[in-house]
Amino acid sequence: MEILHTLGLEWKLFLGQIINFLIIAYILKRFLYKPIRKMLEERRLKIDQSLADAENAKAALENAGLERKKILEGAKNDAGALAAAAKISLEENKQKMTEEAKKQSEQIITDAKQKASAEFDGLSKRIGQISVDLSGKILSKVFADLFTEDEKQKVIAKALDKIEKGGYEKIAN
Amino acid sequence: MNINPGVIFTVAGFPVTNTLLATFLADIIIIGGVIALNRAVSLRPSKLQNILESVVDYFYKAAKDIAGDRAEYIYPWVLSFFIFIVVANVIEFIPGFESIRIGGHEGFAFLRAATSDLNLTLALATISVAVSHYYSIKYTGIKSYFHRFISFKMFPIMLFVGFLELISELVKFISFSFRLFGNIYAGDILLEKTFYVVLPLELFVGLVQALVFALLTMAFMSILTEKSH
Repeated sequence: MEILHTLGLEWKLFLGQIINFLIIAYILKRFLYKPIRKMLEERRLKIDQSLADAENAKAALENAGLERKKILEGAKNDAGALAAAAKISLEENKQKMTEEAKKQSEQIITDAKQKASAEFDGLSKRIGQISVDLSGKILSKVFADLFTEDEKQKVIAKALDKIEKGGYEKIAN
Repeated sequence: MNINPGVIFTVAGFPVTNTLLATFLADIIIIGGVIALNRAVSLRPSKLQNILESVVDYFYKAAKDIAGDRAEYIYPWVLSFFIFIVVANVIEFIPGFESIRIGGHEGFAFLRAATSDLNLTLALATISVAVSHYYSIKYTGIKSYFHRFISFKMFPIMLFVGFLELISELVKFISFSFRLFGNIYAGDILLEKTFYVVLPLELFVGLVQALVFALLTMAFMSILTEKSH
């Protein structure tokens, strides 16, 4: 004990130092370590959250890329199918239109033929009529000196009647 | 330089020494730092906050590595010892700290390194040992605690081992207090005699001694709070 006193040990100071350090330790624990540990924990959580968010964003981006690729491939396939369908449809339309055109042209030809035939018939009749009229006039002039008016009329009427009944074709042949 | 701290005045029989004033100065610096940090603490740390966060995290992780889950109650004591001893050791390098003297050349310094006073180092050693034993009883149980020192298994070997354990616990008071006291007191004398030529070395010694005290406390607390086999 004497040696401790020689080294400056004083029990009042010793106790005072113990109390002083306990107060400081309490202050440090309460007001320094706790807030700092809390802050470190908060920061750690925030970093973890940010990293998780970044991972999610990366995954979402990758998914979006894959989805884009998938959509593009789908669109490409659809476009191909549409083009093929359009080609088929075009071919069909072409064929249909060709057939229709053919039909129409045939119809036109038929109509034209009929029309031409009708016109030809009409024309034949007219020519027949003209030839009858012309024959009447010729006969009237030829028979003017040979027959009386009455005989002349009868002969002409008979001749014309024969001409009319015989038709143009018979006369022509 | 006298080994006893110089008494500046007394308050109701309580001697206020130059080392006690240095202790109060260390207290003021620590409390001021705590208040300043509490106001400025944020998710985006300042330089001071960064340094303190690193120190707190280092001691927490070191305690976790050594003591596992018991780190939660061990690290605040260890870190408190470190911060207090570092501040108490470093403030002695403030100009005028030991050069302002009372009673002329033959007198004593107005402020003297707090850890060059055996009263403080023994107080810190007492707290370190007492807290270690308190946690030992609290977390291992009274039976396991006494079993560490008194055991009749393999008689008389374990009884002798227990006796040695008891001696080692008593020696801790001496080793803790005299190591810190001796290093800082010797450093003060060296600084005085060499006119502060060895100042960087003493600054280093101050830091190392704080670290040694803190890490030994951590090791002893970890050992004592582990159940003895």
